[in-house]
Amino acid sequence: MGVVLRNLQNVVPLRRARLRKDVETLRHILGIQKFDLGVICVDNRKIQRINNIYRNKNMPTDVLSFPFYEELRPGKLPCPLYRDELNLGDIFLGVEYLMKQCQQQSQDLHGILTSVTAHGICHLLGYRHETEEEWKEMLQKESYILNEFNRFTGRQLVPLTKKCSQDG
Amino acid sequence: MLKYFSRAVSTAVGISTTTMFSARALQPLTRSTLCSPNSGTIRPFSRSLWMLSHNGAASVYRPKLFSSKGFTPVSCGCGSLHTDGDKAFGDFLSDEIKEEKKIQKSNTLPKMSGGWELQQNGTEAKLIRTISGEKVTVTFNVNNSVPPKFEEEAEQAQGQKSAENEPDIVSSPNFVVEVTKQAAKHSLVFDCHYPEDEASHGEVEEESDIFAIREVSFQPEGDVEWKETAYTLNTDSLDWALYDHLMDFLADRGVDNTFADELIELSTAMEHHEYIKFLEDLSGFVKCN
Repeated sequence: MGVVLRNLQNVVPLRRARLRKDVETLRHILGIQKFDLGVICVDNRKIQRINNIYRNKNMPTDVLSFPFYEELRPGKLPCPLYRDELNLGDIFLGVEYLMKQCQQQSQDLHGILTSVTAHGICHLLGYRHETEEEWKEMLQKESYILNEFNRFTGRQLVPLTKKCSQDG
Repeated sequence: MLKYFSRAVSTAVGISTTTMFSARALQPLTRSTLCSPNSGTIRPFSRSLWMLSHNGAASVYRPKLFSSKGFTPVSCGCGSLHTDGDKAFGDFLSDEIKEEKKIQKSNTLPKMSGGWELQQNGTEAKLIRTISGEKVTVTFNVNNSVPPKFEEEAEQAQGQKSAENEPDIVSSPNFVVEVTKQAAKHSLVFDCHYPEDEASHGEVEEESDIFAIREVSFQPEGDVEWKETAYTLNTDSLDWALYDHLMDFLADRGVDNTFADELIELSTAMEHHEYIKFLEDLSGFVKCN
């Protein structure tokens, strides 16, 4: 297994290979290559429905994470006993929502997708941003991940946590 | 309900047609032994059941299993067999054709975006496009393109018992994409399909791509026999990075999720059109031509 990448929408043209490559780089930085991960790209309609069902928020958003392990200590990797527990969970990317954000802020879509995926992976690893302390801890982790990513790739990605304190 | 049920019957036509053909081959024997001045031509099917329940043949003996009403032949002088069953069938088909035409969205087929040229040959269609010297051809056939309804979908429909809430019939055909570069001897051919769980639209749990590549191979360019000895890449156990590159390759040539969704619309309209045409031909065949 590895990264299961799905594109369920037709609103935003996506480069699957590029997104996969970036996600693989993030996994390498975090040392989570042995864990399966799902990255699913959806439109506003779908992410709004998921947001409504699971968070009672009837509106589209940028990212929703569904951890396989729900009680992880932030940053502590799980030690599963069985092979089929080598799974971190799924990340739903609201690509239509993110595309609109990119257009408003003149940013590169695939860069934003990678930053948002890093944010989503942090959630799968137990990070939260419901209190100020949690927010600082998560921002620190995201900054570390993206600094390493930028060092490897020469790009200039910035953490999502900086911009949004409620969603994801 | 009528629309859905009639479609279920239409998919079974293949089976009943086969039965009728084999019965037709027995007809000459039937006529010579059973024809009487009063009974006219007796259906082969009824003969086989008659033989089960009676010993010996008597030309004036009426089979007990069937009433004379159901099998009174109609004579119109055209030389073909006409029975009350045929008349009922013809009447049913007339109603069915009217109903299907009522729900037909349009007499014209929906257009594909992206400048695709449509060529149709019966149930097979080709969409052709040229991009910077590359020719891309997408071929599909509407036969066997309507996935079967599963129990849970039928139960969902039952939960809201009204004709308006019946699930629409959707055609999601397998399709083949051929990409041919200028002056190339071979085309790169992708065998694509719509994964089954994507057929249930509107469910949060659906997590398959809208369409998927099943196999990839190089094939001789043009309408030449499929080369069985060409290596065929099966995506079942393919490296996912390679798979994503193949999907991006197709997307760059206009075969992306938008295309896949529009293809379903086109195929559904075509399939419906062909179905109505088939019913009309069937109606003409059953009635007196």
